[in-house]
Amino acid sequence: MLDSLGQFGGALAHLLSGWGVLNVFWATLLGIIIGALPGLTATMGVALMTTLTFTMPHEQAILVLVCIYVGAIYGGSRSAILLNIPGTPASACSTLDGFPLARQGLAGRAMGISTSGSWLGTLFGILCVAALTPVLSEIALKFQSFEFFWIAVFGIVIAGTLAGGDPLKGYIAGFLGLFIATIGQEPYYNYQRFAFGSTDIAGGIGLLPALVGAFGVAEVLQAMRGPAVQAVSSKIDSVIPRLEDVFKYWRTILRSGAIGTFIGILPGLGEDTAAWSSYAAARRASKEKEKYGKGSIEGLMAAETGESACVPGAIIPVLTLAVPGSAPAAVLMAAMLIHGLNPGPNLMLQTPEFFYQIVAMLLIADMAKLFFGLTLVRPLLWILLVPRERLMPVVFVLCVVGAYAITSRVFDIYVMLFFGFLGFILRELKFPMAPLILGLVLGDLLEKNLTRGLVLSGGSIAPFFTRPVSGAIAAITIFSILWSIPGFSGRVAGLFRRRPAGGQAT
Amino acid sequence: MADEPLPLLPHEERLPPRSDLWVAAGSLTFSAAILTLTFRMPTYTDQGGQIYTAPGLVPSFYGVVIGLLSLWLAGRALRAGALSAAGKGEPRETGNSNARFVLAAGLGLIFIVGLIGRMPFWLAATVFVTVFVAAFEWQPGLASTARARRFAVALAIGLCTGILVTLVFERVFLVRLP
Repeated sequence: MLDSLGQFGGALAHLLSGWGVLNVFWATLLGIIIGALPGLTATMGVALMTTLTFTMPHEQAILVLVCIYVGAIYGGSRSAILLNIPGTPASACSTLDGFPLARQGLAGRAMGISTSGSWLGTLFGILCVAALTPVLSEIALKFQSFEFFWIAVFGIVIAGTLAGGDPLKGYIAGFLGLFIATIGQEPYYNYQRFAFGSTDIAGGIGLLPALVGAFGVAEVLQAMRGPAVQAVSSKIDSVIPRLEDVFKYWRTILRSGAIGTFIGILPGLGEDTAAWSSYAAARRASKEKEKYGKGSIEGLMAAETGESACVPGAIIPVLTLAVPGSAPAAVLMAAMLIHGLNPGPNLMLQTPEFFYQIVAMLLIADMAKLFFGLTLVRPLLWILLVPRERLMPVVFVLCVVGAYAITSRVFDIYVMLFFGFLGFILRELKFPMAPLILGLVLGDLLEKNLTRGLVLSGGSIAPFFTRPVSGAIAAITIFSILWSIPGFSGRVAGLFRRRPAGGQAT
Repeated sequence: MADEPLPLLPHEERLPPRSDLWVAAGSLTFSAAILTLTFRMPTYTDQGGQIYTAPGLVPSFYGVVIGLLSLWLAGRALRAGALSAAGKGEPRETGNSNARFVLAAGLGLIFIVGLIGRMPFWLAATVFVTVFVAAFEWQPGLASTARARRFAVALAIGLCTGILVTLVFERVFLVRLP
């Protein structure tokens, strides 16, 4: 215990030495601004900054990305409260009660609730990262190719099932992502798949240009196509959080923190699911249900705590299984790989100091978020008033720079543009994006482990189903698919329903 | 409110069944294309390789799954009445503008294909941002002084973007620019 605390202290001191403090401040501030601006998401912010910070030492680069991630998820609530437009999809739930509070002249109080809920939620998640990651890593070390194959499939399926929207389209998006990951040279014979003679395509589709396109360019196109944002309220009361709000709703905070962290751990779901689930659970348990949707402090607290607890939660499977818990965490994982880190079960063995650094990064980002949350009110209001016509071309230029930065290939800019249009079309057709991203990220893991498993078993698929853990994950995966079939859940529930003496089901 | 269902996110709203049928047809065609291409790939079994390490195996598995899911989507759309008159769905007022989308996409395309690589990046970025802002803020019937002022603002934003992005990313982040 003392050894762990010592290592954690060492990580804190290391991160905050030199340029560390400055990096924390600008990155968290930039994250909050990205999150606050409608049309710019946490995923886009992390993807852009991954490419732009890759010349930095790895711990400083990851620190910047964690600060952007934490800041952006929090920043989204500002526009949700003031404009009734979520800055990020994660903040959509905060509009339900945040905006009604602002209309009642309580915008400052709503932002105070958002700040305290978000800060406590991330803190709760950080404790879970510190407590659960070593335990889960220990378990994951026993996994072989069979288990990793099913974890990847489970990630796609659960993201499709629970990411919101149509599960069927979620599965198609997930498998489309997996397919895109197979483009380029394959690992066994270096055969160029789907390259059509192009040496650029044979090199594979770069994950980050694809992400910058799917989130950055697609969002620019959507923002320009959509209706203009309405004017913002300019009268703000005190944003200092009230202790009575925190103490009165401590149960909601703990419940939402636990739900948010748990949803973060599940592959590919992310902060929006966490916020909605926490909000729904709080509403079910609330004594003041009638206030929900009309400016409920408890509802806003639940949504903010849930979404912010999800951030550290989504990093847990990255550190233990190399499977991201959310779309921004997928980009963060890609950044770790670019910087030569090895996320997954071996991380705790090879670079245990990085685990303590991640916990320290999250804590530092959470504190910086609290600082800016309490001080940065007026400047954020001005930023929210920047018209999209002036903001979006600048974002587009940054996307181009971001796509080009890592490999200096013009081809990556074309990849970005292609994925920008693809992302735009898929959104218009109501495909959720989280499974697509997860498919892109997990494609390599899935293919390598499927092939390796088949080689180990001499071509038999039996071990994929008969090994205990592998079989259990397979069963959960198949059950998740069946559950999304209309009528299946009702029939299963009917099996367990009590029948009256007459034998007729009620 | 307490018992009302939570509002849907944009991607949670369903398309009309007819649109879903078109989506299913598109993804089914895509799946067929994947399978056609993967069946043309070598298996390397003649060189002693095992069939389960064949380059086309995994993508063909994805192709089959996408095909099956597309059939499921098509079946669901047909059951929901995709071929009936009501299956087309009612047009909704969303406030979206396709003209604005085409303009934004066209300008982005020109920036990437036409400007980048043909002039210094700072200049390409300046031209793109200036034209983008000026085009979207252009209003018919404005007085020439007001129009000149708007263009000056657009040029200032363009110049700031071009110069700042170049300075910050090339000098501070040491990133190469296209």
